[in-house]
Amino acid sequence: MKILKAVDGAFTRVEGWLVILLLSVMILLAFGQVVLRNVFNSGLIWGEVALRHMVLWIGFLGAALAASGERHISIDALTRYLPRKAKASVKVVTHLFAAIVCFLLFRASLTFIGFEIADRHTVYGEVPAWYAQVIIPAGFLLLAFHFAVRLVLSIEVLVKKGGEQ
Amino acid sequence: MTVWLIVLAIIVLMLFGAPLFTIIGALALYLFTSAEIDQSAVIIELYRIADSPPLIAIPLFTFAGYMLAESRAPQRLVRLAQALFGWLPGGLAIVVLLTCAFFTAFTGASGVTIVALGGLLYPMLVKESYPERFSLGLVTGSGSIGLLFPPSLPIIIYGMVAEVSIDQLFVAGILPGLILVGVIGVYSIRVGARAKVPRTPLTVSNVWASVKGAVWEIPLPVIVVGGIYGGIVTATEAAAVTAFYVFVVEVFVHRDVSLRKDVPRVMKESMLLVGAILAILGVALGLTNYLIDEQVPQQLFEYVQTQITSPLTFLLILNGFLIIVGMMMDIFSATIVVVPLILPIARAFNIDPIHLGIIFLTNLEIGYLTPPVGLNLFLSSLRFQKPVLQIARSVLVFIGLQVIALLLITYIPEISLWLVGVMGTR
Repeated sequence: MKILKAVDGAFTRVEGWLVILLLSVMILLAFGQVVLRNVFNSGLIWGEVALRHMVLWIGFLGAALAASGERHISIDALTRYLPRKAKASVKVVTHLFAAIVCFLLFRASLTFIGFEIADRHTVYGEVPAWYAQVIIPAGFLLLAFHFAVRLVLSIEVLVKKGGEQ
Repeated sequence: MTVWLIVLAIIVLMLFGAPLFTIIGALALYLFTSAEIDQSAVIIELYRIADSPPLIAIPLFTFAGYMLAESRAPQRLVRLAQALFGWLPGGLAIVVLLTCAFFTAFTGASGVTIVALGGLLYPMLVKESYPERFSLGLVTGSGSIGLLFPPSLPIIIYGMVAEVSIDQLFVAGILPGLILVGVIGVYSIRVGARAKVPRTPLTVSNVWASVKGAVWEIPLPVIVVGGIYGGIVTATEAAAVTAFYVFVVEVFVHRDVSLRKDVPRVMKESMLLVGAILAILGVALGLTNYLIDEQVPQQLFEYVQTQITSPLTFLLILNGFLIIVGMMMDIFSATIVVVPLILPIARAFNIDPIHLGIIFLTNLEIGYLTPPVGLNLFLSSLRFQKPVLQIARSVLVFIGLQVIALLLITYIPEISLWLVGVMGTR
C-alpha cells in the first residue's frame, strides 16, 4: 500500500511540474505572439499550433491532478452528508467506474494514435501529429491509474476494522 | 430494455458522485459502440480541443483570475470602490456587488469569488450594521453576478460550443450584466437607507489614495474590454496580455505573490480547474457529435414543435428548464451538454444564438443560487460557517430580483443585441 501511495504521489508531483512548465511557456509564447503581431507585424507561424496543443496537454495534466486530488466536477449533493463508511463504499463504486471508463478511453486513444501514425498525419511542417497527440492516451492512462489508486484506498477504509473517525 | 438499464445505471452513478466527465465519456463510448462505430471516434472529437483557438484563452484567463485572488488585489479594489461609492446609502452593498462582479468575470464563476472575497466583505457588511440576512444573501448572490461580463469563461465556452463569435458575446453580455447589477443595486440602496448605515463622505484625498493603491489593477478591465471592443486584440490575445500583466504586477510590482512559494501552487491549482473543465468538454464533444449524427436535436425539435408553437412559450419553458439544469450541474458541464440540444430548437423559433447564450448563462447563474442543490449555497455555507438552510433563506430575495432581470433579458432581445449592432461587430 505504501509503495502504491508513493508511486501515486510521484506521478502527481511530475504532473504538477509539467503543468507549471507548460503554463509558463504558454504565457510567454502567447504574450510574445501579441507583441510580435502588434509591434513588429509578424509572428511565429508555428506559435498558434503550439499554443493550441499546449491547451490539450495542460488539460490532460490538470485533469490528472484533479483525479489525484478527487476534485473532478461531480454531483455531490446526495453523498455530501453520508457517514464515512457509507461514503467509502459509494466511492469504491464510483472510482471503479471512473477507472474503467478512463481505461476504455485510453484504449480508444491508442486506436486513434495508430490511425494517425499509419496515415502519416503531420501537425506542422514535418512534425508527426502523434508527437503532439501522445498526451491523449498517456493522459487517460494517468487518469485511470489515479482512479484505481483511489479505489484501493477506499477499499482500505472499508476493510479496516472499527474504522477510526 | 438493456439500453434503458444502462442509461439508468449511468444516471445512478452520476447521482452518487462519479466524475461527470466519466459519465459523459461512458455514454459516448456506449452509444458509438451500439451504433457500430469504432470507439476511437470519441477521441477524434476530443482532439478538436487542440483545434480551437478560442480555447487558448481559458488557461490564461483562469491563471490570471487565480493570481488576482491570491494577491491583495481584492482589498485594493474594495478600498477603491468604497472611496467611490461609500457616500451612497447602501454604498458598501454596491461596493460588494461591483467587486464581486469584477472578480467573477475574471475567475469564471467557479466559486472563487465567494471564497476569495466573501471572507473580506461579509464582516465589513455586518460591522456597518447591515442586516445579517441581507449581508449573507448579498455576498452569496453576488458570487455569480459577473458572469455576463468579459472575460468570463462560461461565455467563452458557450461561444465555442454554439459556434458563435466570442467577441460578439462579450459585447452582448454588457447591458444584461448591468441590468442584473442594477436591479440588485437599487434594492441594496433601499436596504442601506432603511438600516441607516453610516456613510463615508466622498473626499478627493480618499479617492486619490485608493486610486493610487489600485493603480495597477485599474487597467485590467481596460485591457480586456477596451482591447477586445476596440478591435485591437482578439479575446485570445487579451487573455495572453492579461495573464502576463497580472503575473508581472502581482509578483514583481506589488510583491503580493511570491514567485517561488506561491506561483507554482497557484499555477497547479488553476490548471486543475482547467483540466476538470476540459475533461468534460473533451468527452462531451464526442457525445454531441453522436447526438447530431443521430439527429437527436432534430427529433427533439419536432417533438417540441408539436407541443409549443409560440417563441414566447418556448422561452418561458426554456427558462424553467434551465434553472433546474443550473441547480443540478455546474455551469460548464451544463453549457457543454445542453447547448447543442437546444440551439437548433431556438434557431427554429428565430431566437438569435447570441441572445440565447445570454439567456442561458443568466439562467444558470440563478441556478447556482437555487435551493436545494445550488452550488454557491454550499460554498457560502462552508465559507461563513452557517447552515445551508439559513443561506438558502437569505438568497430568496436575490433570486427574485435576478428572475425579474432574467425575464427582461429573455423577452427583450434588444437588451442583448442592440449594443452588438451599434458596435458593428456583426
